Amino acid sequence: MLTTLHPLPKLALCLALILASLVVFRLSFQILLFVAATLVLLIDARIPLRRLLLLMVPFALFGFGFFTTSVLFRAESGFAMQMAQEQGGGPDVAPGLVLFFRVLACGMASAVFALTTDPGRFVRALMQHLRLPAPMGFALLQAMHMVPDLRAELLQLRMARAMRLGRPLRRVPVPTEAISLAIPLLAYAIRRATRAALSFEARGLQRDGVRTTLPQPPMTRSDAIVLATGLAALLLTVWISGRLPV
Amino acid sequence: MPDQSVWTLRETLIVAVLGAVFGVLYLGWVQVWLVLQAIFGPVTMDVVMGFWLVVSMIAAAIIRKPGVALISEVMAAAVQVLLGSPAGLLLLLTGLVQGAGAEAVFAATRWRRYSVTVLMAAGMGAAVFSFAYTWIRFDYGSLEPGLLIAMFVLRLASGALLGGLLAHIIVKALYRTGVLSGLAIDRDARAAGA
Amino acid sequence: MRGPPVPEALTYQDVALQHDAATAPAVGPVSLHLCVGERVLLMGPSGAGKSTLLHAATGLFPVSIGGARHGEIVLNGRPVDSRRPADWADTCGYLFQDAAQTLAGFTVRDEIAFGPENRGVDPAEIHDFVALSMRRVGIPETWADRRITALSGGERQLVALAALLAQGAPVTLADEPAASLAPMAARRMAELLLAPGCTAMVVEHKPGPILDHVDRCIALGAGGRVMVEVPPRDVVERHGEALAEAGIALPLATRLHTAWPDLIDPRLPLSRALRRVVPAHADRLRAAILPDPIEAGPELVTLDRAACAPPFGPVVLRDVSLTVRAGEVLAILGPNGAGKSTLAGCLAGLVPLKAGTRKGAPGAVAFQNPEAHFSRESVRAEIEGLGHGPEVTGRILADWSLDRVADQHPFTLSQGQKRRLALALIAEAGRWPLLILDEPTAGLDGGTEAALARRIRELAREGRGIAVSTHDMDFALAVADRAVLLDRGGVEFCGSCPDLMRDRARLTRAGLLPPEAAPVLDWLDAAC
Ligand SMILES: Nc1ncnc2c1ncn2[C@@H]1O[C@H](COP(=O)(O)OP(=O)(O)OP(=O)(O)O)[C@@H](O)[C@H]1O
Ligand SMILES: Nc1ncnc2c1ncn2[C@@H]1O[C@H](COP(=O)(O)OP(=O)(O)OP(=O)(O)O)[C@@H](O)[C@H]1O
Ligand SMILES: [Mg+2]
Ligand SMILES: [Mg+2]
Repeated sequence: MLTTLHPLPKLALCLALILASLVVFRLSFQILLFVAATLVLLIDARIPLRRLLLLMVPFALFGFGFFTTSVLFRAESGFAMQMAQEQGGGPDVAPGLVLFFRVLACGMASAVFALTTDPGRFVRALMQHLRLPAPMGFALLQAMHMVPDLRAELLQLRMARAMRLGRPLRRVPVPTEAISLAIPLLAYAIRRATRAALSFEARGLQRDGVRTTLPQPPMTRSDAIVLATGLAALLLTVWISGRLPV
Repeated sequence: MPDQSVWTLRETLIVAVLGAVFGVLYLGWVQVWLVLQAIFGPVTMDVVMGFWLVVSMIAAAIIRKPGVALISEVMAAAVQVLLGSPAGLLLLLTGLVQGAGAEAVFAATRWRRYSVTVLMAAGMGAAVFSFAYTWIRFDYGSLEPGLLIAMFVLRLASGALLGGLLAHIIVKALYRTGVLSGLAIDRDARAAGA
Repeated sequence: MRGPPVPEALTYQDVALQHDAATAPAVGPVSLHLCVGERVLLMGPSGAGKSTLLHAATGLFPVSIGGARHGEIVLNGRPVDSRRPADWADTCGYLFQDAAQTLAGFTVRDEIAFGPENRGVDPAEIHDFVALSMRRVGIPETWADRRITALSGGERQLVALAALLAQGAPVTLADEPAASLAPMAARRMAELLLAPGCTAMVVEHKPGPILDHVDRCIALGAGGRVMVEVPPRDVVERHGEALAEAGIALPLATRLHTAWPDLIDPRLPLSRALRRVVPAHADRLRAAILPDPIEAGPELVTLDRAACAPPFGPVVLRDVSLTVRAGEVLAILGPNGAGKSTLAGCLAGLVPLKAGTRKGAPGAVAFQNPEAHFSRESVRAEIEGLGHGPEVTGRILADWSLDRVADQHPFTLSQGQKRRLALALIAEAGRWPLLILDEPTAGLDGGTEAALARRIRELAREGRGIAVSTHDMDFALAVADRAVLLDRGGVEFCGSCPDLMRDRARLTRAGLLPPEAAPVLDWLDAAC
């Protein structure tokens, strides 16, 4: 269902979730949000659990960083403390734990959008409804499509280099190798941009002039309903978490 | 003489993909920061901050047009958001503030000079803006003045070195790969050589 | 009597083109034209400037690709400079030499819709445009949401063709459109691009397969000037020698006739001409189409019931068992998307298997995309990086005809030059017992292709094991001892290469066609 949802209301909803997760500094709320987003991804978007867990690793690491600094150094940022106090969070819950789950919740909310949205449809929606100029739109689309390709490109660069140096390919690059690959990777990106520009030009992309877009499923009543339901559920969650002890 | 203010299709695309690559690298840098922070404590953020500013200087030094420094940093933030960065939406604001800091310095040279000094100044500009921003966000007013000064100096140095100087080195290396031919940096280099 | 004059779609008048970084013009001055409703084949050795010439047709060169132009180009009756390159998209469609250049890297549907969208086609019709061009090219509907970068080289070429058809420009400029396509797909490509009445200029290194589809042939010489301009039936007959000299690949029958004028009658099709040849000549004919035998050495690599997947992709080949021995050349054949490149990575040990085992030392792959190998600032620096010393470096540059472009940046090379550089980097490294060349002939001109075939046999004789994935059956026959045919997710055949080449039914089932040399194989079989 989420995959067929119009990208703009979905974006609005996900942004609302992230915003809420940033302002409501309560452990229960963050956990509820995290669980809800994960369930949506599992059940509605049918993302395999394995992939979701892999996806969570960097978030968890990031969040764990907050957690350890706050526990080991007790050097929590004044802002977070202040927010926690303002919202009646008891001092017994380490703000680090809240931060940890906030990271996971925000990450999953972003993932809900990223994993269920076709970039082409998203960019076309931006061009159609928000008047994004076509060159900008397709540049954005190019950037979005390039990110997953970077991984494959990196692997190919490493293979070519391993063959050249006569060394076996390591599974995971050591740090020095990773750093030395930065320039070739950037060069690849710039070259890809240059070639895409030529392709766009040869096929007639203009800054001005008449341009139509591939018809996208229009915004419907059900989009509005999902958006409204989602926002209502968010408010409900905020309310429920306010009743919970932490 | 090509129009100074309008971006060509190629330039638009380059800003976008640089934003994308650095969006990914910035996310990686977050992990580095976390490890270092666990070892050295809170001021680590000021020390490593410069790298999160670097794309502005790189894009500006390559394309040399108004708006490049700003938009590239915002692009990098947008990509991080789309990749599901934990910092979420706020990153866009951060990107805007940091990009504006660098852009301000380039604007002061009327988008004409991109020497290593100017790049380092732009990195410091971005650092100043970002310091002001974190001041408001994390309520730095309550910290000890001595610590604050140390943080500010560290961040300035980081902006100049990890931001400006690193950008200069990267741009140099990129120029050698030949992928920048036909761009403003290449035109200027030829004009200087001829 | 001549009919009313046909209007010219594209005219080059004394055009010379020079790249920004170059010291001499890449091409020209040349004058040539393309009439409305005419199909022209443009040939020429690698580096002659064919691609550059096409880029200039809508002003992409020198507006977007930096350079300078002398002379006039008139497109559709108007000087090319009167509009911006992007405006010309309604008149002139491109199929660039590298499919990944025609496309931008989105999903298949987005790519195909891109041209019609830019032209402002009524949105209600765009879906039909997309569906129709996918059907015409034979792209399955299920590909619509696949990303271009997750397609095989040939599959990308097909999507590029569909995108071109959807763009619907009346004039087509196609740069080696069939270079990475399997024979049957190449044939369909020619039928679509070069149907009677189309206006098209096509660059190809091998005139043979498309001569029936064109009205006129133009050959550029190595200096970037027009050398020959004739109707197709005359081109090989009258100018064969000049073309061969310039490095253009001639059909096998012509080559055999040129070698033995008394033996092969040029007026007859090859199979009939052969009927008059007495069996005593078998050795000569065998030597002309088959490689010298080499005694195979120890096993270098063995795959046992391997399951292979492209990096980050699903398993595409199952239950693959094969060996490559020292001194042996193995051809990897199959339709587009069969998994040849995937197998190449696994055979070399670069890509881990999903199941089964691989035994043997690691090997080196010359990737299908030659640019993957480049990392230095000049061709010379790339070769020097092999660590051979100045003298050998000079020799390698000369052997692979790269001496003229030694100081150029690798990315500015022509496609054929890029391919040669990439092959040189792998073949001359000297360190690898096992070499895997993925489509080494794509983009090579006839002269270089023959030289490559010789070099591959030399390397095998030195004791290397070599696997060559290719769509060119004649090339496979000329270099390989054994062949493996991949199709439908597994190995369809593994055995002697000449045997496979005579098995027309098996080849056509896999979307391939017998080589030009098939009649000679049949004759040899009957003669011995
Ligand atoms: N950007 C560039 N800068 C300098 N030289 C270039 C550049 N691009 C191409 N050249 C040179 O111009 C010449 C013509 O190149 P072009 O790509 O047109 O050849 P081609 O006839 O298409 O060859 P191929 O059959 O190998 O594709 C080559 O020698 C090439 O090295
Ligand atoms: N990253 C990927 N993700 C998903 N599928 C992929 C990926 N890479 C390749 N494939 C698919 O795997 C199959 C085999 O690809 P491969 O590149 O090995 O084919 P090939 O035989 O070399 O074809 P060609 O002759 O066109 O080069 C193709 O169907 C292709 O679409
Ligand atoms: Mg070419
Ligand atoms: Mg392949």
